[in-house]
Amino acid sequence: MRRRRFLDCIAAVGLPLVGAHASAAAPTLRVGLTAVILADQAAFLARWSEYLSERVGVAVTFVARDSYQAILDLLFAKQLDAAWICGYPYVRHQAQLRLLAVPLYQGRPLYQSYLIRTRGAANLNGWSDLKGRVLAYSDPLSNSGWLVGQAQLRAAGLGPQDLRRSFFAHGHSNVADAVASGLAQAGCIDGYVWETMHLQKMATVAATQVIWRSDFYGFPPIVVRRDDPNAALALLGQTLLRMHDEPGGQDLLRALNLGGFAKPAPALYDSIRSLVKLVHGAHA
Amino acid sequence: LISFIPRLPYRIQVPTGLAVAVTVSVLMVSIVAARISERTARREIVVTVQRVITLLAAQGRPLLVAEDTFRAYALLRNTAALLPDADKGHTRAAILDADGRFLAGSDPLRLPTGEQALGVSVNARLLPRAKDVTTPRTVAAADGSLSLLQPILSEDEKVIGFVLAEVDAATFAPDWMALSKPGLIGAALAILVLGPLGWLAGRRMAQPIAQIVRSIALIGRVDPAKVRELLPTVADIELGQIAGAVHRLVGEMVANQANEQRALAAERLAAVGRITAAVAHEINNPLAGLLTAVRTLRLHGDAPDTRLRTVDLIERGLHQIGTMTTALLPQARVEDRCLSPNDLEDVMTLARANASTHAVSLDAARELGADLLVASTVFRQVMLNLLLNAIKAAGEGGQVHAALYADPQTVRFTVSNTGRAMSKTELQQRLGTEGGNDPQGFGLWICQEFAIRYGGGFEASDPSAISPPFSTSLSFWLPNRHHHDDQEVAAD
Repeated sequence: MRRRRFLDCIAAVGLPLVGAHASAAAPTLRVGLTAVILADQAAFLARWSEYLSERVGVAVTFVARDSYQAILDLLFAKQLDAAWICGYPYVRHQAQLRLLAVPLYQGRPLYQSYLIRTRGAANLNGWSDLKGRVLAYSDPLSNSGWLVGQAQLRAAGLGPQDLRRSFFAHGHSNVADAVASGLAQAGCIDGYVWETMHLQKMATVAATQVIWRSDFYGFPPIVVRRDDPNAALALLGQTLLRMHDEPGGQDLLRALNLGGFAKPAPALYDSIRSLVKLVHGAHA
Repeated sequence: LISFIPRLPYRIQVPTGLAVAVTVSVLMVSIVAARISERTARREIVVTVQRVITLLAAQGRPLLVAEDTFRAYALLRNTAALLPDADKGHTRAAILDADGRFLAGSDPLRLPTGEQALGVSVNARLLPRAKDVTTPRTVAAADGSLSLLQPILSEDEKVIGFVLAEVDAATFAPDWMALSKPGLIGAALAILVLGPLGWLAGRRMAQPIAQIVRSIALIGRVDPAKVRELLPTVADIELGQIAGAVHRLVGEMVANQANEQRALAAERLAAVGRITAAVAHEINNPLAGLLTAVRTLRLHGDAPDTRLRTVDLIERGLHQIGTMTTALLPQARVEDRCLSPNDLEDVMTLARANASTHAVSLDAARELGADLLVASTVFRQVMLNLLLNAIKAAGEGGQVHAALYADPQTVRFTVSNTGRAMSKTELQQRLGTEGGNDPQGFGLWICQEFAIRYGGGFEASDPSAISPPFSTSLSFWLPNRHHHDDQEVAAD
């Protein structure tokens, strides 16, 4: 429902701007959002958009989609100028993408993947217990919501056929929703998203329990096309890096449950690169 | 309650009755409405569920093709809200894959993802196998619940999945609260209005009844005219009949009272006449004997014994007349001596003058087995009356025999005579005329009165028990008590 409300808002605010980009000359920066954050908060996004627009000097708008691939498609089609995506698609498309900024979560540009279960399901305590169960993933291009899970299932000696069923829930919050309702007995979810939902006391998270935490991986970055010459993007990057220095920026960061943004280095995502090799090698 | 209500006043009975009637009516209407509602609701529920299934089949087809469990779940969760009683968990829906396994269900805990649904028992319902469901199916369970199945077809008519909807029996159960709520509100309003109105109506109904009751209670205690004044004038037919009946009753009572007054006055006059006649009769009876004694005194008064005996006889005769006239007064208490054998002689003496006049043979006998403890005046008068009556009945040349008997219990005087016979029945008929209409019968009537008054008897003997040549025998007796003054008057 939140997603539906959000999409309605985006349809009212963001999409017309995307459509206008092709024909209007007014400078605008369009930033794509995915399930790496709780993007279903129109009021917050409006405030953040206003904050960034004032400092960058051009209108900054947000465009959300419930799949990473859709955002990537828009980005590569030059319908978007920047996108907040997961580390896994960045690694997959790093030749075409440039890191603009990376969030700091609990002081570091790192996060974890969680395996969650329905609260009270005492006989499900780890990956090896998933045999014959239903497992929910977030997105096929999500590191925490798919790639980590694939590696762990492999490590537990389980293949896709050992699960009763698995499905993509099209977003981390939907994974929590699916597990809470019993649609799936377990789910792979972004640890930052789960903790933020927990912080906001969302009912769906309260009905779930974390039964496993992964190693730390590079936090989902904000990326731009490597060949995009738009000078405003540099201003956008500098504004993001300075957000934690201003009270207005701090308020927005607090709402995002983040400490700030930092200048990322490609090496931050080496662990994901290793995971990709592991999983894709296994698949091969 | 039924037996208790009639004991309540009308101003309580009427509103209570109205309230009970309204409540019972609401109850009956609610029951009938529930039955009708149950039938129509079942049809409507099934139609609604079928519409939801049609919607799910259309919207779920691309999700089924994409095996998109979460979006199928989101669709089911939102669409299931259209199902009746979904909020209570009584209905649920699911999308199944081509093998009949749950792709997603609106209630994942009861419709678990990935588990087999068709061909097995799910939630205590055995559903048909997937290959047997090529058209919409409705499976009714014994408990009244329903499972509706609709295949989802590809564009080339191949079954690629199913929509399943489960409707629990509770969904079809009448919602008594909802059904009875309007009726109960109406009943409450009706009672609110009918209560005071019923109270007033009850009071209005009871008022004339209470007035009639008060009037009836006064009958006999106040003037009937006053009773009539108090009787209400009512328009109600039944109450009017009651009031009319009371009117007639009072009228009849007035008439009866007047008749009783007249009868009492007549009775008093008759009683005075009877007493007067009786006094005259009782005085007249010994007069003939006394006159004979006077003649005897005149003729033989020179002889001292004869004079003395005759004077004594006259004295006793006069004394008897005096005592007798007093005794005939109903409230008088007479100071009298006990009967003695000489009294029989006196009476025989007084009667002989009459007997000789009628040429009747007269004799007497006595058998005294005990003292004579009866009042002399009464017994003398009875003996004289019976003797004179027998002499008269015997007629010229007839015979009369008198006998006085005494035992510890009774003193009896029997007079037998020849001539016309008098049976028991004839004696009773004679006495029944009360003598007042027949001056000739006063003697017998007085005997009867004395017998009743002093606890004795007076009767005629059965003809078969009478010794020849006599044809009639009358017997008078009184209890033989210690002293006549101690005798209690048996009748007054």
